[in-house]
Amino acid sequence: MKVNRRKLLSLLGMSPALLAGTPAAADHKKKVAPAASESKYTAVSPKGTPPAVQLYSMAPRLDTLNGKTLYLVDATGFFGSDKLLQNMQVWFQQNMPGVKTVFRRKAGIYGADDPKLWQEIKANGNAAIMAIGH
Amino acid sequence: MCTRAYTELAHLTAARDGMPHLRQVFTPHPVGGKTSEELAAYLVNPDPVSGKQIMKEIIDDLIVPLTDDEKKTGMQAIAAGPATFGPDTLDNLQEAFMTNGMTDYLPIVIPTEEKVEAMLKGTSHSPDEVLRKPIQGVGYLAAQWGYTVRQVAVNAVMAGCKPEYFPVVLAMAAVGSLGLFGSTTSSGSAIVINGPIRDKLDMNYGLGALSPFAQANTTIGRSWTLMGKNLTNGGIPGDTYQGGQGNQLDYNNCIIAEDEKNSPWPPLHVQFGFKREDNVVSIFGGPDIRQGHGARGAGAEMAMFDQQISFMCQSMVGGDGALGILDPLVANRLVEQGYDTKEKLSDWVYKNTQRTVKDFKESFLAYFHLYPLALQGREPYATWYKLPDDAMIPFFLSAKQINFVVCGGQANAFFQIANMNHSRSESIDKWT
Repeated sequence: MKVNRRKLLSLLGMSPALLAGTPAAADHKKKVAPAASESKYTAVSPKGTPPAVQLYSMAPRLDTLNGKTLYLVDATGFFGSDKLLQNMQVWFQQNMPGVKTVFRRKAGIYGADDPKLWQEIKANGNAAIMAIGH
Repeated sequence: MCTRAYTELAHLTAARDGMPHLRQVFTPHPVGGKTSEELAAYLVNPDPVSGKQIMKEIIDDLIVPLTDDEKKTGMQAIAAGPATFGPDTLDNLQEAFMTNGMTDYLPIVIPTEEKVEAMLKGTSHSPDEVLRKPIQGVGYLAAQWGYTVRQVAVNAVMAGCKPEYFPVVLAMAAVGSLGLFGSTTSSGSAIVINGPIRDKLDMNYGLGALSPFAQANTTIGRSWTLMGKNLTNGGIPGDTYQGGQGNQLDYNNCIIAEDEKNSPWPPLHVQFGFKREDNVVSIFGGPDIRQGHGARGAGAEMAMFDQQISFMCQSMVGGDGALGILDPLVANRLVEQGYDTKEKLSDWVYKNTQRTVKDFKESFLAYFHLYPLALQGREPYATWYKLPDDAMIPFFLSAKQINFVVCGGQANAFFQIANMNHSRSESIDKWT
């Protein structure tokens, strides 16, 4: 990084204009343009390009939960979602014993897919609830 | 289901994934650290967002027939907002950019068409060349927006870059995942620049190398955050940004121009397989950068910088690597200690930075991210989880996770160390 003498003098609080004499001061006066802030400009948007979104229809709903199997999936492994879902299992046992619940923790870290589990739910379940803790 | 703290994120993520009407239920926040009794109570109390009793809401969500909106399919266009702002005064445009969340809340250079055209002269690439194609978001945090050379140029202007800096900014943009990483962990970035371009751009790698003493260092670093905000729709608190405390590195992203002349070792980009005469940008990400404050063994004949580096690594997040930022005085003393290559030093730090299995298991990272991998049989985690609690295991996964760069004014034998992983290096020359 280059540092020149004029810059160093500026850092010491000495205007480079001292080196140049009065013409520099005169030049400074000339540069004060009145009403410059009133000029109008058009600015370009800095935004990127969003993707179009493919919409998916939600899965058809059940007519009743009675006699059905409900998967309760801890989707991230973050604090507490497992405990919450296990409490939900207890609630179903006590309040809707006709509903069978199955608790599963999704494999892998929170962003990872778990096709084996989705397959299991499709084959054995009627509905699923996913919970994300924190 | 998720907690109330993530209401906005949950709705927006579902919408970006093509399910704007996904039925969602919210509990109070947090669920972590609550007793079983407290969580059981959540279930019979109202959803803090809808006001409905949670279990009743869940049952209704499963059995109430779908509405027409919920059955909708097809493609839905998403708008990025107006293509231009104004005509208006510079002050009003500053205000418009700020209130629309397009700045870092410091004044910007207003990107007029003329300034953007001037920036584009800094590269031979077509303004319409696509650096990243937009892809429908799938999952976690950042929306998959795309961007062109021209869109990168707008952000480079805003950051205060000169056209001659533009190839560096384009190389950074080509990496794909930009600044303002949205995780709750508030991770930040550090960006290393190697090659002759450092001198061409008058970058500072001497005294105060990491402080705001050179336009190129300052503005190139700032562009990383602006690009993360604008090009990929990142950095929206509550939506694409969830960093609990945020990170002060986000203002400038710690631009490190390596002092290749005063370093006793080959520069970082040569370690990564580039030629010395190549110009290269390397991106690092992780939680923080900390001061080393000299060596172990103060007053001893041989200062033990290796031991101090290892000591500092002990409190890091092990999944993230380490990037040592060494003043040339430190690097040269390490050579005197016998580390005639960076690789020898990385290897020593890897072998001598260890912890017990118990410490590892009790770390946040292990509990949330690595234990699920161990359950899937992923090594070394599967093996580590089978070891006794007092067994010693390496802190890092490999010596390659530990990197070193050299910069600083040789005012004192100090160093800093970043708890950061190398994500990718990109040729700057490709973008001239």
